[in-house]
Amino acid sequence: MLTIAIIDDEQHCINRILELLEPYGDNLEIASFLTAEESIRGIEILRPAIVFLDVQLRGRTGFEVLSAITYRDFSLIFTTAHEQYAIAAFKCAAIDYLLKPIDESDFERAMRKAMEKVEQTQLAERIGILLSHLEKDNAPKRISIPYKEGYHFLDIRSIARCEADVNYTHILMADGQKYTVSKPLKHFEGLLAEHDFFRIHNSHLINLDYIKSYTKSGKVTLLDNLTLDVSVRKKESFIKTVERR
Amino acid sequence: MDFARTTLKTATEMEYPMGMLVAHECLALIEQYAFSNPYRAVDHYHMALAIAENIAGLNSRKWAITGNIATLYYEQEEYGKALDGFRAVLHGSKDLEFTALANIANVFGALNQPDSAIRYYRRALAHRQSAEEPAFRANLYSNLSLVYANAGEIDSAVSATAESLSLVETHGIGLVRPTAYANAAMAYLKANDYGKARHYAEASLASSERQGNLFLQKSAWGTLADVFAARGEYRQALEAHQRYSALKDSLNNQNRRVEINRKQMAFDFEKERAVAQAEIERQATAQSAYIWGGSGLLVFSVFGFILYKRRRDALAQKKEAELNAQVLDTELKALRSQLNPHFIFNSLNSIGDYITKNDNRSAKDYLIKFAKLMRAVLENSEHDYIPLCDDLAFLELYLQVETKRLPGRFSYTIDVDDRLDTENTLVPPLLLQPFVENSIWHGFKGREKPGQITVSFRKNQDLLLCTVDDDGIGRQPMAASGSRSLGIALTENRIRMLNAQKKAGGTLEIIDKADNTGTRVEVSLPFETAF
Repeated sequence: MLTIAIIDDEQHCINRILELLEPYGDNLEIASFLTAEESIRGIEILRPAIVFLDVQLRGRTGFEVLSAITYRDFSLIFTTAHEQYAIAAFKCAAIDYLLKPIDESDFERAMRKAMEKVEQTQLAERIGILLSHLEKDNAPKRISIPYKEGYHFLDIRSIARCEADVNYTHILMADGQKYTVSKPLKHFEGLLAEHDFFRIHNSHLINLDYIKSYTKSGKVTLLDNLTLDVSVRKKESFIKTVERR
Repeated sequence: MDFARTTLKTATEMEYPMGMLVAHECLALIEQYAFSNPYRAVDHYHMALAIAENIAGLNSRKWAITGNIATLYYEQEEYGKALDGFRAVLHGSKDLEFTALANIANVFGALNQPDSAIRYYRRALAHRQSAEEPAFRANLYSNLSLVYANAGEIDSAVSATAESLSLVETHGIGLVRPTAYANAAMAYLKANDYGKARHYAEASLASSERQGNLFLQKSAWGTLADVFAARGEYRQALEAHQRYSALKDSLNNQNRRVEINRKQMAFDFEKERAVAQAEIERQATAQSAYIWGGSGLLVFSVFGFILYKRRRDALAQKKEAELNAQVLDTELKALRSQLNPHFIFNSLNSIGDYITKNDNRSAKDYLIKFAKLMRAVLENSEHDYIPLCDDLAFLELYLQVETKRLPGRFSYTIDVDDRLDTENTLVPPLLLQPFVENSIWHGFKGREKPGQITVSFRKNQDLLLCTVDDDGIGRQPMAASGSRSLGIALTENRIRMLNAQKKAGGTLEIIDKADNTGTRVEVSLPFETAF
């Protein structure tokens, strides 16, 4: 038996998810909630395995629901129409989301992932990261990166650089530690660009705080004395970005 | 600038060296004074120089160009190169001897080599051309007095200043007046003649305020502060010093900006400026010209008046170019945004068509696919360029959705050159979609057998070739059925605008295949990459 909670203030959105869940058979127990208050109580009582959570809930938000609950051992899937700010935060925390109206193949992919045991691990920690990215403060932020058995949580300021390796990315920390993630460099460029990272090259994304020097011929030397090329097309915007700091 | 470029092109075609030479000189001046891009200016001067050296009849022009290059180095504070250039002119050309002497003296002044500077000022003063023109003499004497004063030769400084002042007053030389007064004030201050020092400092202040010359104002306040201090009038000295400091700070700020500007130019002089930056650059240009002009205590240029006029013309041309660029940018954005509603309404047609033919459930799935497409259209059309892989993903989804609506009507292939790195290759968003749409909606009308659409992307040297090929009924029957695609008209305009913006030769060709066996659309774009 798999317990699923759907939290959305629009009945037709709940109906869409119910419809998409039909092929998953009778072995499901599905509860739906139209308000934040009901859902907070409901989650604590039902202890669902999978939660679909809408971002906007009649003047409240799905994030408030997450802050309020103490039970956090489930697979979380956000649903949203177009909240770009939230999408950026989901990506940083490695929390899954679906865009409304929900596409069938996207839904199947999300369900496959949600039913893996690993998706439920360390959710409390990832929720913490999600909420911190939604804060407009200057507090140090972390990102979640998935690996086979769970998630690593990395302090953004301690990441020196990222390097592309076909569809994998190596994340290199200031202390020499290295993490390899099966996501393209573009993914991390999206996450880190607003945290003072710059993609200097097809294969290199660097933390601007770790630059020791750069030369006019287009080379950057990092604090660990590693020298990298800045690609010709990025030179101009790179210099501008560096000089603006 | 366009005019100069056209002249250059025409002259090159006609093999008319004189025209090429003049065009290069003109471009160099524009780069130097209107765009403050000395590196490009040097390039053009060197081209002109090469022509002058190779064509016997133009040999005499060589020295004027060498002199211009040297002046440019002087302004860039590369004194060694400037000196070499002026020396070459001095030895090479009788006509430019005088200018070269005066400029060499200025360089030595800037290098703080008073003995050499004095020697060259003396030689310039002894020159025939200086005897003919009192303004030249006045300026030379004034500069000379400053060099003497700095070298501690007070008597010589005072006598040079007196010479300069008498020339200014006798001939009413307004241009040299504020500089001459400022230098006189310094010379008299050093000679401990505070009355005269104060008089000339105040006179210099008045005339430089009228001219808006901050550099001279600062120098005058500095001299006044020293004068008051020497007389024991401390309150006034303090006040003058405060005025001096305020002006100094503001000049330093300007200088710093010019310095940053210069560094940046050294870095990316090969690149075209972005439109948005043009205005900032223009201001920096005005400031830098102003400061160089302000260093008029030492700067001496007989080209001054000609340059001013050319610079003004160049500025006007540059303004026009900026405006054109902005208009292009706005029009491109407008065109992209027109494509959105165009796409949305055509999508609603597709959805409507689907609903009449199918059950609710599949109509809803179809609608959701289109929602996805619309999201992609809105996101992609925000950008000037997107990675090819994103555009491919969009086309794939679009074709999938349309095949679902029209099962059995057509099949499609998307064919991408293996050598293309689709993540790194950039394309204008949704450029091919209108052509694909046209093939789907009109290309296979009234036909029994299923059609085929092939979309392909190929790299050919520095071009990206994009084609949409169908084996449909061709354009004539299409035109007869009265359909003229708005999407295609918009795309034609976009390519034209992109060409104007990038100065590129992107083309659009719509080819009717023989015997109405289909239509082939070929778009070629300059090959752009993200990295």
